[in-house]
Amino acid sequence: MKKKLLSVILTAAMTASLLMGCGGSADTSAPSSDTSASTEEKADTADTADTAASGEVQEITWMFWDDLNATEDLISKGYAEVIERFNKDYEGQYHVTPITTNLEEYYTKLNALVAAGETPDVFICSPGANMNDYALTGVAAKLDDYLADGWKDTFTSDAVFSGSTYPDGIYAVPLNIAAACVFYNTEMFEAAGAEVPKTFTELLDTCQKLQDAGYTPITISAGTAWCLSMVAGYLCDRNGLVLDDVKEHKTDWMDEKVINAGLQIQELSKYFQKTAAGDDNDIATAAFYNGEAAILIQGSWAIGQINGSCAEGFAEKVGVFAFPAVEGGNPDANRVIAKSDSLCMSATTKCPEAAVALMKYFTDDTAQKYTAEVGGKIPVTSVEYDTSVAPPELAYVMDVFRNASSTFGFYNESLADTEAGSTFDNCFVEIFKGTDPATALQPIQDYYEMNVW
Amino acid sequence: MDKLLRNKKAILLFIAPAFILFTAVLFYPICRAVYFSFCDYKVNYPIKFVGFKNYVLLFTKDKTMRIALRNSLFFLIFSCVSQLIFGLLLAALLTNIKFGRNLFKNIYYLPCVLSSAALGLLWMFVFTPKLGINQMMASFGWISDCTEGPQWLFNTDGYIILPIIVISVVALWQYVGQSMMLYMAQISGISNDIYEAAYIDGATKTQAFVKITLPLIRPMVATAMSLNAIGSLKFFDLVYNMIPEGFLGNRAHVLATHLYDQAFKYNKLGYGSAIGVVLLVMCLAVTLFINKVVKCENYEM
Repeated sequence: MKKKLLSVILTAAMTASLLMGCGGSADTSAPSSDTSASTEEKADTADTADTAASGEVQEITWMFWDDLNATEDLISKGYAEVIERFNKDYEGQYHVTPITTNLEEYYTKLNALVAAGETPDVFICSPGANMNDYALTGVAAKLDDYLADGWKDTFTSDAVFSGSTYPDGIYAVPLNIAAACVFYNTEMFEAAGAEVPKTFTELLDTCQKLQDAGYTPITISAGTAWCLSMVAGYLCDRNGLVLDDVKEHKTDWMDEKVINAGLQIQELSKYFQKTAAGDDNDIATAAFYNGEAAILIQGSWAIGQINGSCAEGFAEKVGVFAFPAVEGGNPDANRVIAKSDSLCMSATTKCPEAAVALMKYFTDDTAQKYTAEVGGKIPVTSVEYDTSVAPPELAYVMDVFRNASSTFGFYNESLADTEAGSTFDNCFVEIFKGTDPATALQPIQDYYEMNVW
Repeated sequence: MDKLLRNKKAILLFIAPAFILFTAVLFYPICRAVYFSFCDYKVNYPIKFVGFKNYVLLFTKDKTMRIALRNSLFFLIFSCVSQLIFGLLLAALLTNIKFGRNLFKNIYYLPCVLSSAALGLLWMFVFTPKLGINQMMASFGWISDCTEGPQWLFNTDGYIILPIIVISVVALWQYVGQSMMLYMAQISGISNDIYEAAYIDGATKTQAFVKITLPLIRPMVATAMSLNAIGSLKFFDLVYNMIPEGFLGNRAHVLATHLYDQAFKYNKLGYGSAIGVVLLVMCLAVTLFINKVVKCENYEM
């Protein structure tokens, strides 16, 4: 009997020590170099938990796709200021903790949090296929009731909500608008005797002149596939492709307009930097603001990136023009690719008041003025900002935006789902590498045949 | 104590903690994954049972799966062969040197204990055209400009693309220390008497290595190869960190990165589980194969 008792005690001790071992490892997993920081964080968390339990401070989380402490991007820095301002103003009432990750892993991490039942109270999201996953499944909350208190009237127009409006309501609030444009180095253009092109043929001529003058005409990233596919989206549109027609199967991905876009990418790629295949977006953008290339085709968020990192005086050399028309293609060559950073609120948030208050901070005059004057993005509210302080490129982007007949989304975010978007990106990377467009486009054609049509 | 160990209840009690933990953290998740592999399962959407649909798609329609399988099998073969050769070579060299053995042992083993993610980033910089190797080649005058050199991580020509070969070599560098340590442990267990007897009979060092060392470390060869094979099949970190987003038009995928993309990037957890099950079956099959092929008996050493 004693031996049995002994064996039971020994087994229990073994189990307990195993479990304690597991628990212990979690505690010690923090990097040793961050000891002080983690200790502070733990202290903060403990404090917050205590106060929250006593009903004083409501803790909420906000998820974003950039590291707020390490970023050089001026828009991200602006978001960090908003968080700081919110926490200061609502001290003792609400407290927001940012959850940050890099853009590439953002939706993966967000989905993991959703699956674990820990959806952030407020999270950033791109309209299109990504937002569908949260708006159509009840993860994000409908915001109409909150917007109805006069908040919506502060926005420039209802059109800014078009990407986040679903049949039953609005599921996200836009923070700013970025338009995809062609940035160019005016000094290099002048030295090469090149002029701003209006058509694709003129663009090729311009690139040739720049190359003859010893410059790298275009810097672009095919390593970060969406950068190349943004140009592909423009070329498809300029050739006259209507994306809804593809969705409704009135046409398909083997359409002559898409094939032409592929051939044009191949023509244009002769003028890309030699390392375009592997350069990521940051490297490709840096090549522009370091004066290594004359043209950068990028969203206007690049203004924040460029001004956050470029040498003094470079911003004055930058000009902006709209993506050129394709002869014989779409007669409306004034359409612009536009995108907004939007905020969604979790449908399961325990404190919607705090979440909405935070979202309002992102769209208040201070934040929107910063968006234009420092970040160089187009504000979504009717805020008046000092144009003399704003980056000079913003005025050019605003011109392009004002002259736009209509806007359309990034192709990879406007297709049936995220996998369709990635497949489209990869098809154009293949085309860029020299594969015949009809062959390279087969995967997206197959994907639509299997999953969409 | 003997009496206690013959008691079935006591045995059960002693096994229970390990069994419960194994079931909770391994067996149950594997069973769940197998079940999900038969489902259309996306986060935020209801789970739908679809039978073998995921497997049918995986083997008939998924071109990326074929590429991932090809690359993973290349990793498997390259890793097993190269680690066997270099691991043994290093082990043989280090057991035969008198000075600096511990120093070199630590140097070769160090990459094993470092974070693969950090090493991936480090090697990515080394192979980036504007930095590292190409810059060095340009400074020696071997190439006119750093952008003219090989596109180590971006060239997609060939059946097995250059980035996969480059990453295999980096993986060899990282993990050869582990094989070396295993072989060294086994070699140092071989009695000196056997070698002395061989030398008295006139055997050379090479003959002693081939006729004595190699046969006696066969059990460890099977173990090390199994570990290498499983490790290379589920290889993820270096590929994920060294290859740009999009995996060069899916040409640089291995099974684990394809699983990650499908399950987490595209939110197709059911399909990702099916890839996971294929990976599990492959790991089991390869381990069985290696243990069958490298048949061995344990000798008294």
